[in-house]
Amino acid sequence: MAEFKAEVFQNEYLADGATDAHAVVSVSCSGAGKAGVSGEAAEIIIIDTSGSMDMPPTKIAAARRAARVAVGEIVDGTWFAIVSGHSIAQMVYPPHAGMAKMTATTRAEALTAIDRVRSGGATAIGSWIQAATELFGQVSAAQRHAILLTDGKIEGEPPGALAQALVDARGKFQCDCRGIGEDWVVEELREISTALMGTVDIVAKPEDLEADFEAMMQAAMSRGVADARLRIWTPQGSQVLFVRQVAPTVEDLTNTGVQTGPLVREFPTGAWSDESRDYHVAVRVPVAGIGNERLAARVELVVNDEVQAKSLVKAVWTADTDLTTRIDPAVAHYTGQVKLADTIQKGLAAKAAGDDRTATVLLGEAAKLAHDSGNENTTRLLEKVVDVVDVETGTVRLKREVEKSDEMALDTRSTKTTRIRREP
Amino acid sequence: MTDVALSCPQCSQPVAGDDAFCENCGAQLTATAVAAPTGPAQEPPAEPRAAAVRSVCVECGGVVADDGFCSVCGKKAPSPRDHWKETPADWVGGVCDKGIVHARNEDAMALAALTDRSLAVLVVCDGVTSAPDSDRAALAAARIACSTLAGSSLPTNTGVAGTVSHWSAAITRACLDANSAAVGVARSLGNPSEPPSCTFVAAVLDGDVVTLGWCGDSRAYWLPDDGDAVQLMLDHSLGTELIQGGMTVAEAAADPTFHTITRWLGADSVDSTPEIASMQLRAAGWLLLCSDGLWNYASPASSLQLLVREQVEMGHAAPVAIADALVRFANGQGGHDNITAALARYEPSLR
Repeated sequence: MAEFKAEVFQNEYLADGATDAHAVVSVSCSGAGKAGVSGEAAEIIIIDTSGSMDMPPTKIAAARRAARVAVGEIVDGTWFAIVSGHSIAQMVYPPHAGMAKMTATTRAEALTAIDRVRSGGATAIGSWIQAATELFGQVSAAQRHAILLTDGKIEGEPPGALAQALVDARGKFQCDCRGIGEDWVVEELREISTALMGTVDIVAKPEDLEADFEAMMQAAMSRGVADARLRIWTPQGSQVLFVRQVAPTVEDLTNTGVQTGPLVREFPTGAWSDESRDYHVAVRVPVAGIGNERLAARVELVVNDEVQAKSLVKAVWTADTDLTTRIDPAVAHYTGQVKLADTIQKGLAAKAAGDDRTATVLLGEAAKLAHDSGNENTTRLLEKVVDVVDVETGTVRLKREVEKSDEMALDTRSTKTTRIRREP
Repeated sequence: MTDVALSCPQCSQPVAGDDAFCENCGAQLTATAVAAPTGPAQEPPAEPRAAAVRSVCVECGGVVADDGFCSVCGKKAPSPRDHWKETPADWVGGVCDKGIVHARNEDAMALAALTDRSLAVLVVCDGVTSAPDSDRAALAAARIACSTLAGSSLPTNTGVAGTVSHWSAAITRACLDANSAAVGVARSLGNPSEPPSCTFVAAVLDGDVVTLGWCGDSRAYWLPDDGDAVQLMLDHSLGTELIQGGMTVAEAAADPTFHTITRWLGADSVDSTPEIASMQLRAAGWLLLCSDGLWNYASPASSLQLLVREQVEMGHAAPVAIADALVRFANGQGGHDNITAALARYEPSLR
């Protein structure tokens, strides 16, 4: 049986007239078990088989190998399907438009079917997502997850097709997205992964794809809690400024909340394995006089409408400036990490638009933020795009020769945060 | 002290006298919430105020959730430990309040009285803020001292001298008990390096004789309806030493060490023997015990006398109503510290 714990980090003291309560709520799950333990699980693997996957042919070969490895990781009893995506979505396995139960027999059949996959046609990702939504709709699995692999940008379907497909798919399944090579568009895959609560990453070299698919499917199979939600109560007259997941990656959840009571909103968080995630919650509360104590938010982790963990975000007004001027280290850290991700994305956009001056300033600022917060992975990725002149002042020079895949890696991984080092 | 069976006002499970919280349901316990012994008169326990405030929000009328915050406006339901009243008899009453600035109420009081106006016991303790958990030490000390005094025998010797000598000994014993209780709190916390500690002032009004004992700077005043009011004791503080050394009160009050107490109760106390004083009352008036949360804003006895007189002129006769007004006065001045005011009414004609 999964167990959740929630811990709050905040400075609850507000100065006279202050209204904004900020807190980081750290939620951890243990004993999650395996996918399928709390209701059935379903997996769909979507492989881009458009014509470009043959250029070079190592890509389609790597995709076939990666799909085989992923199928090998799916536990028996799980519903599954493999879809080949080109101008339309086409079933690889099972042969009909449906899902199969994983057994020794279906696994062997699926592996054979994968070997027959050939490439040709356009990249109509919207139609692939639509097909996955329909397939998941045919089974009553509590936990639904897909892997989507592409190597190109969307073409061969009307603009807006993806957005429409995501509207229909939202909340029906989670989707991890991978781009292979350098010809796909980070923005498009990030749109999918954000809407469908999955990850997005680049696999620059075809030979790395197998290991990535293996890890992704292992992670999916370790999620024994099918669906959990963050339930947030805030007092009358207050305003939720934002709700963000801030670790392990930055995801803005503010607009995903569903009103479930006059003062309660619930934010989907998807499936959970044994892991911990941090959320930054900011609430603007009605001002109260010095000496007052008020609850700014009740933050609960809810599974099947049952509260698994709860923490309280408080607001205490005091005239003691020693207390009110402190910023909680966790809140400060994650505010910085969100700014880091934002600065990188804006910097790369400026660079792409040919505005080197803005790009230099922003990426310099990012280099300083990454350094100051000890985010070594992001520092490493940044150093492939800029030469750092002085990290203390955030002075950098754009590199003259940059691998496009390095820029894409920096972009896709900009939202990965480091955790604050907590003293024991 | 004999064991008195105490129970939680919320779940009725047995609790210990110095428990700050119920072990069973977690409800915060106070002198009123637990049926503390209120004296030889066997007063009925005060109404379970704790249960009442937990259910409905004092600000918006919303339902208070199990976590102690209103489910509508989020206001923290006042903890009974943060503000409570005691009225052991209609002529004795007190209010203990968190004040505005402090996060916790480290003041405590315990009162007992006979309804026939022959005996009142008032105890006020002020927890030392710089030592964590002093709120617990103060409450434990005040309660045990009050129950020791309320449960002790009445003087057998007649006359003022006999009464004073009897109660002097009783107060000294009660103060030692209170010190043991404060030390006990430290022990239950694993003997922290900054042990919880508190001041102590206890007064017994037996007939027309007031006997009091104190350690620290919680005070006792006699405020007659007519005539000069007096402070019945001198603080054990560096402030007093400065004044005795020749400073004016105003000069001493401006000194940062003014409030540093030189005698207190607790595990690190060097002298927990109370200083004793007594007075025979000859006219109607008020015996006031208070913490520095009140007297910081009205130190001279005449100022306090004026404040009480104003309340009486406004029609307040009950000690608890006047104590409440004194607390509101201190909060109106900023409420920079916890505030306790406990009063007993003396009228020669009613004896």
